[in-house]
Amino acid sequence: MTATVTTPGFSTPRVFELRPVTVIARKVVREASRDRWFWLYCAGFAVLAGAITMTAVPDQNLIGSGGFGRTAASLVALVQLVVPLMALTLGARYLAGERDSGTLVFLLCHPVSRTEVLVGTYVGLAASMFAAVSTGFGAAGLFSALRSAPTDPVLLIRLAALSWLLSLAMLGLGLLISSTVKSASTALGMALFVWLAVVFLGDLGVMGTVVATRLPVGALFATVIINPVEAFRLASVVALDGSLDALGPAGTYAVDRFGDGIATIAVGVMVAWTVISGAVAVLAFRSGDQT
Amino acid sequence: MTGLRRAKTIPVLTALVAGLLALSAGPATAVGSEPGGLQTLIDVAEPGDVVKLEPGTYDGGITIDKPLTLVGQGWPVIDGHGEGSVITVVAPDVTIRGVVIANSGNRLDQENAGITSDLSPRIRIIENRFQNVLFGMFLRHAHDAEIRDNEIGGMDLFIARRGDGIRIWQSSGAVVEGNHVANGRDSVFWFADGITVRNNHVEDGRYGLHFMYSDGAVVEGNVLERNSVGAFLMYSTDLTMADNVFRSNRGPSGYGLGLKDVDGLAVSGNRFVENRVGLYADNSPSRVDLYHHLESNVFAFNNIGVLLGSTVARNIFTGNAFIDNGVQVASDSTGGLLDNEWSYRGVGNHWSDFAGFDADSDGIGDIAYEIDNLFTDLVERYPEIAFFTGTPAAQAVDMASQTFPSLRPEPILTDDSPLIRIPAIPPVPMPAEATSRVLVLLASLGLLLAALVVMAGGRFRLSEQLVTGGTP
Repeated sequence: MTATVTTPGFSTPRVFELRPVTVIARKVVREASRDRWFWLYCAGFAVLAGAITMTAVPDQNLIGSGGFGRTAASLVALVQLVVPLMALTLGARYLAGERDSGTLVFLLCHPVSRTEVLVGTYVGLAASMFAAVSTGFGAAGLFSALRSAPTDPVLLIRLAALSWLLSLAMLGLGLLISSTVKSASTALGMALFVWLAVVFLGDLGVMGTVVATRLPVGALFATVIINPVEAFRLASVVALDGSLDALGPAGTYAVDRFGDGIATIAVGVMVAWTVISGAVAVLAFRSGDQT
Repeated sequence: MTGLRRAKTIPVLTALVAGLLALSAGPATAVGSEPGGLQTLIDVAEPGDVVKLEPGTYDGGITIDKPLTLVGQGWPVIDGHGEGSVITVVAPDVTIRGVVIANSGNRLDQENAGITSDLSPRIRIIENRFQNVLFGMFLRHAHDAEIRDNEIGGMDLFIARRGDGIRIWQSSGAVVEGNHVANGRDSVFWFADGITVRNNHVEDGRYGLHFMYSDGAVVEGNVLERNSVGAFLMYSTDLTMADNVFRSNRGPSGYGLGLKDVDGLAVSGNRFVENRVGLYADNSPSRVDLYHHLESNVFAFNNIGVLLGSTVARNIFTGNAFIDNGVQVASDSTGGLLDNEWSYRGVGNHWSDFAGFDADSDGIGDIAYEIDNLFTDLVERYPEIAFFTGTPAAQAVDMASQTFPSLRPEPILTDDSPLIRIPAIPPVPMPAEATSRVLVLLASLGLLLAALVVMAGGRFRLSEQLVTGGTP
């Protein structure tokens, strides 16, 4: 960015400038590239994504050139598990870890505002997640291209984009945890609990409610889609199948009620989680006295 | 492409055929493109004549009321100008070949069609192109009709407002072969006994093939893709479905092949790929003294491979391959499918999720394959729960029931002789999907490169200080 900073930082308190944000973001990316956890996640995701495309390709004489639909569905299932885990723990560990090691105090001694630090961290982690997600989908695509398996490149990139969007929403939640709790281990524990909640407990709870109360399909759809992980899944199913017709009465209801708007709603949910959790994280970090 | 090649040889052929016909069969006549010329020509022709059309555009709305052969060379166009049916046939032994039939009316209540016919036995409709017609052809009382190698393109309308690509009513012994139907509504065969439907390609419609009260049909080698339903067979007996491809038929109630009250059916060598439901059966067979054999079919990558009504019985599944369907086999309500046979004379089916072993290496699993998923069981009892298909939570439910046997539902089916390997099923020709390997490679490399650039961006020249210009 070309924004130049002319105000001496010591005299006037600043709220937000672009340059420190980019500098901090680059620092965060650099640190992620040194973090063995980040590489472990990246490698794990890429290996699993590649393995899915390697094993999912059957004899083409038997079934013709179809088959990418199920491969992509498996990739979506993988993303639902791995990407939230990765983004939540990355976001939660980051600031809390800096705080534990004392580097956050050092950082805040510089003439940078807390908003700039948080936004810069968010941008840097988002860039790191972009790299992780792109590596995974790139590996999947590469394997299937090498095996001449049927692949839809547009669908591949759409799923990668949706996965990145999901990681943004999860990073927001992670940073929110990070800016409110005192120690890195608490932050990690909370991140794991949130992961459990958005990936498993939320859905299991709604399932139980359906069994117990025969929840109306409209309410079912609404309670499910506000979960960012579910919003990602539903947007992916729309990208894959063109609609939610295969998902039973609630799916048919959603198609009937919202038509082509389902993907927009789902993407909107993920964007909303990103923006709101990010904003709350900024507020919490600014007002927080813990360093 | 053959049409183009044919066009070059028209002058020679025209002279030759005209000469030959003049000598032998009677008068053969070529007409120009003056309006009204075609109907006049048909009116003056004698029964049995060959009316030959040269390239040009002819007015539609014509009626053929005597046995005639209408042959186009170089793709003459018969244009209905958006009014009524383009050609109406009310005579036996009419042949229409090599013409472009375009622009019928779009009135569903009048059943406007490219070719409409009544009392027209032995009609032959061969190698024509139907463009922007409501119905392609609507044949009534056309016994022993022959419909071959036509290219039928429907109107660009909402699917329920479209007409049927091919509709055959009260016409036994018809042969429908090698046609390509796109963007139609259905292809319907009503009260048409002993028909043959072979090697047709039906795509982007509602019901690819729809049989009602049509007994003794042979349906083989067809490719039915991206329709709402590939083929629905209803109230018909003695049907053979062989070597068809059902692919990506995914409407809200989409099936590859749907069966309702069908008695006497053999289903073999078919490919069911990426449908919402591969095969669906309701009350078939309906007679208690009949068994249906479903043998050597492939069910792959469907959301549900086979869906049976809970009262469906007496289907014998043997030598089929069930590969990576979201749910391999399900019942449409509670209750098992145990009144169907999942192995026959020691030969079961191949199940991609079979977790057993084959210690004696005879190709047959040593323990039975059972479907007893708790999640599927829940979906059968509470259909709303289908909304969670494919979530980690759904997998957690299944994992829990495998871990705690007290949660495990009764198996809906048991295959005592599961096949370890995919059985040898002869290949069928399948149109390739246009996916470019180069594009996939570019997309993947692009993603990997983007990742690299981002990670390198962090490392690049961090020597500039945090607050350049801000610190003294």
